[in-house]
Amino acid sequence: MEDYKFLFKVVLVGNAGVGKTCLVRRFTQGLFPPGQGATIGVDFMIKTVEVDGEKVKLQIWDTAGQERFRSITQSYYRSAHALILVYDISCQPTFDCLPDWLREIEEYANNKVLRILVGNKTDREDREIPRHIGEDFAQRHGMYFLETSAKEAENVERLFMEIAVELMERGGVMTHNFTY
Amino acid sequence: MSFVKCCFEAGEGHDFLDSFVQKCTDPGCCCGCCSALRPRYKRLVDNIFPAIPQDGLVKTNMEKLTFYSLSSPEKLDRIGEYLFQKASRDIYRRRHGFVIIAMEAMDQLLVACHSQTLNLFVESFLKMVQKLLESTDPQLQILATQSFVRFANIEEDTPSYHRRYDFFVSKFSAMCHSNHIDKVQRDNIRLAGIQGLQGVIRKTVSDDLVENIWEAQHMDKIVPSLLYNMQTAEKYDTVLCMEGGAGEEEPARLAEACLRELVGRASFGHIRSVLRPVLTHFDRHELWIPNDFAVHTFKIIMFSIQAQYSYSVVEALMQHLDAGGSGASERDYTRVRAARAAVLSNIVAIAAGDSVGPSVLEIINNLLTNLRASVARDSEKETDEKLYQEALINALGEFADHLPDFQKIDIMMFIVNKVPSSQRANKGTKADCMLQSILLKSLLKVGTTYRTGELSKAFPAAFLDALLRVAAAAEPRARALLQRILHTLLDRRGNAPRLHHATVDVCELGLIVEKCSRQDLIFISKHGYALFSSLYEGLQLESNMMENVEAIYTTLALICIELGSEETVGDIMQLVLAIQQSSLSNPVLSVAQQCQLQAISISLAALVPHVLLLPRLADYIHKIIVARREEAPHLLPPLREEYDDLPPAKMPNKLPYLMMDQMALCDMLKAHGVDVSRLSAASPYSAGNVALPHRHSWLEAGAAQGRDSLAEITAPGTELDSANSSPGVQRQTQHDDLDEEYRMFTEKYNHNHRPAMQNFGAYRSDNDFWHWGHQDSRSSEHDMRRDRKHTSGGSQSGVSLEALRRAAGGPTGAERRDAERRRATLNNAFRTAPFDQLLHITQPKYEIKDKLEEIFNSISEEPLLPQSGPCSPAGKSYQHQVPPYTKYFPELFLY
Ligand SMILES: Nc1nc2c(ncn2[C@@H]2O[C@H](COP(=O)(O)OP(=O)(O)OP(=O)(O)O)[C@@H](O)[C@H]2O)c(=O)[nH]1
Ligand SMILES: [Mg+2]
Repeated sequence: MEDYKFLFKVVLVGNAGVGKTCLVRRFTQGLFPPGQGATIGVDFMIKTVEVDGEKVKLQIWDTAGQERFRSITQSYYRSAHALILVYDISCQPTFDCLPDWLREIEEYANNKVLRILVGNKTDREDREIPRHIGEDFAQRHGMYFLETSAKEAENVERLFMEIAVELMERGGVMTHNFTY
Repeated sequence: MSFVKCCFEAGEGHDFLDSFVQKCTDPGCCCGCCSALRPRYKRLVDNIFPAIPQDGLVKTNMEKLTFYSLSSPEKLDRIGEYLFQKASRDIYRRRHGFVIIAMEAMDQLLVACHSQTLNLFVESFLKMVQKLLESTDPQLQILATQSFVRFANIEEDTPSYHRRYDFFVSKFSAMCHSNHIDKVQRDNIRLAGIQGLQGVIRKTVSDDLVENIWEAQHMDKIVPSLLYNMQTAEKYDTVLCMEGGAGEEEPARLAEACLRELVGRASFGHIRSVLRPVLTHFDRHELWIPNDFAVHTFKIIMFSIQAQYSYSVVEALMQHLDAGGSGASERDYTRVRAARAAVLSNIVAIAAGDSVGPSVLEIINNLLTNLRASVARDSEKETDEKLYQEALINALGEFADHLPDFQKIDIMMFIVNKVPSSQRANKGTKADCMLQSILLKSLLKVGTTYRTGELSKAFPAAFLDALLRVAAAAEPRARALLQRILHTLLDRRGNAPRLHHATVDVCELGLIVEKCSRQDLIFISKHGYALFSSLYEGLQLESNMMENVEAIYTTLALICIELGSEETVGDIMQLVLAIQQSSLSNPVLSVAQQCQLQAISISLAALVPHVLLLPRLADYIHKIIVARREEAPHLLPPLREEYDDLPPAKMPNKLPYLMMDQMALCDMLKAHGVDVSRLSAASPYSAGNVALPHRHSWLEAGAAQGRDSLAEITAPGTELDSANSSPGVQRQTQHDDLDEEYRMFTEKYNHNHRPAMQNFGAYRSDNDFWHWGHQDSRSSEHDMRRDRKHTSGGSQSGVSLEALRRAAGGPTGAERRDAERRRATLNNAFRTAPFDQLLHITQPKYEIKDKLEEIFNSISEEPLLPQSGPCSPAGKSYQHQVPPYTKYFPELFLY
């Protein structure tokens, strides 16, 4: 009994400390981990959601933001159906790096990959990147855009659900049970 | 839920009979009543589960299930699917105890059933493993890995070609990076990750159809995961071969074992797939400085790679030397480069044993190319760049050290032909000088690894020729280096260190002397004069530092020891006398240089009778030494940089009675029964010659001939009308140039159509070159310049006896007539030749010089693997299409 019809691989990328791991854990485990340490290499989580009565399994690969792991993390882009590019709205440098990330995605990911730009940590008072700046950037680069807070669980569920819906609508990748 | 439906699966009728007593053990099952209707295989599966998980697998029932599976293999896939479904439910409900039991059952079935139908069972099995790996519980992940490894060790009769291992590689790699807060747990997860990767490799490596594990998408995960674990080791213990299983409960050790296995299984086409991520990992994790881990890793790779491919590792690393760092500063970049080169020098020896033919040359060539690139980089941080160069040179030496001796000579030939010509270095671009010295250092490095047997083997004619060409380099340091190369090649008995400094107390040196062999005698009779005159000229240079003089002393002393014999002693003493004489007569020498030459000539003179056991000669020399000790210790060793305080009366030329006397030496030697005909004849050496490139080349054609012609060559050019020119002024003697151009003109347009230039380039080592210069009794540009040098100092003391005599007597009648005739023909030519021809001969004033420059430039600028052979060592004109390998390494192609 493999109780899902679709399997999608989602990869999170972005600078160290923007909250990728927190977003994943909020979504998969429903918690905001205190004192979350930096990810080493790559982390893996699974979550099955339901879209239109169909079970959709999301394989989530949470990559390390640190430079030194860049080569191993890049090797995970290739099989991704969706790439979530995360920055921290209270940290300008993480936004400034986005073009670099896009270049990497361009180079290593499938060109049909669904790309979502996420500005995380909306709960913070010290915002540096106004919402519309992020929105503009996303629009210019043909990406979906969402602002989230892993801490306050804001838009996190929605982020992954919309990815599932969108990928299902694209319909192209129908994966069945035999995917190792 | 869909499992309800499965209870009523059709087509299981025959199972009904024995099913009614069975109780459905699954609390998740919707009803207790359905048990009677359950198919037999489900009941068998259900029965292996105990009531409480702590009781573990119900062994007897497991045996029943196994027996059933073996007897009805067609049921195996359903059994697998059912077990998987049960486990999925249990995972969902977090009843991990039952999950573990399900997995254990699957393991047992997998091992027990070697049948065609295993294939479908494997699908369920792997789904199960994946399911467990997806859970967040480390215990389940580790369990799953163990099952996977068990599976990986089973050889399947017909592996499933549609099976993909993407997920396993991805997940195991992630596990290798586990960041679990508990260290023990973290290590366990990492260990499991490595074991899993090892399993995938074993499962797939032998059959590319199953899954090409060598693809970048896999290697880019596997390799960094292994390295990441290896680099965390407390110390790097590099061994040739790991003891099986020892210490493999540590992630670092296991990762190393796994890397060895991977590399060992890589075929030629796959090596790059492994090496690329290795190099990237070292860049990313900045593991080059310090480089102990890099050395460790690359050694491991070299130890485990199939020997015939070890060259690829060296090649890959060499190509990576220059690869950009990740945003590192220029300075760091240079240091990284040096560190990489150091790693290279650590592994290159391992490759040398297995390298054959062209790959040897490629490695050398590549190292030289990198050296040259380094020289060309005008690095701000010179010390760092130097470190890099030294590391490369070390690599070269390490590599050469492990090659057979005949290849070393080939390599030295190859290197020496890359040394920029002195002509070019004269012009003094810093890079050229540096390149020269670096290549010489490389040569020295290779040379020190060579064990000289027969001298003729160590110095093939073309090699000696090339070496002596460099001996006249403009840069004093380069010349000294060249001498050190000669030392290492000449010194067969380890005497060189004792002869670093000139001394007259030869008995105390403890020199090891053996009789000179016949082959050596043939060698010296062929090349002795070339060698001697090169060394002699080397002593006559104004730019010499003490280091140069002593280095040449050492060379000469080694020649005495290695080649001293009755046959050669006359020649050696002749040279010793000539050196003594030049100290008195060469006007360019400083007082210090004069004293140094005196000191080394007497030292050599003292060495000769010691080597050859000539007591009378020894007595004679000893007397002079004693006298000098009394009166003129500055004419004895040790050499000094400065002899400032010397009163005029103590100048060497004021002390004729402290000199060795030619006649006396002849008598002594005669008394010892040595043939002194050559020693008593006029010396072929003359002081103050400007050392010219290729000067000695003609000697190739035969020493005797050269000997006879030398006096003629050097003497007659002395110009009367330039005798009053002041020293050091570069005056261009107009009519000489015209003469020269005229000669070329006539040669070009009248006699043969051979372009005159070829004589300099391709034919430079045949006799032609030398003779054509003075056929006309006028000399070439070369000789002319040397002549100027002669005459510029003419006011002080005679340059050579011959020259003096001529200078005193004025031009002979024949010379005058000659000059007349030439002037006439020249005038005629100017009157009658077409304008453009005249233009041609007058306009490029220093055509020969330019042309030579051009040739030399092309020699040193051509790619290190030259396309054509203008610098071919033997001076033959090679066919242009001859591949460079065969030209320089003909022997290498024998195997
Ligand atoms: N205020 C606030 N802090 C957050 C939020 N998400 C993450 N953080 C904090 O940001 C820090 C980094 O979070 P991580 O999830 O580890 O960041 P990451 O992107 O996974 O970092 P790497 O693994 O190093 O690439 C942690 O201290 C989190 O507590 C958020 O939504 N709001
Ligand atoms: Mg993280």
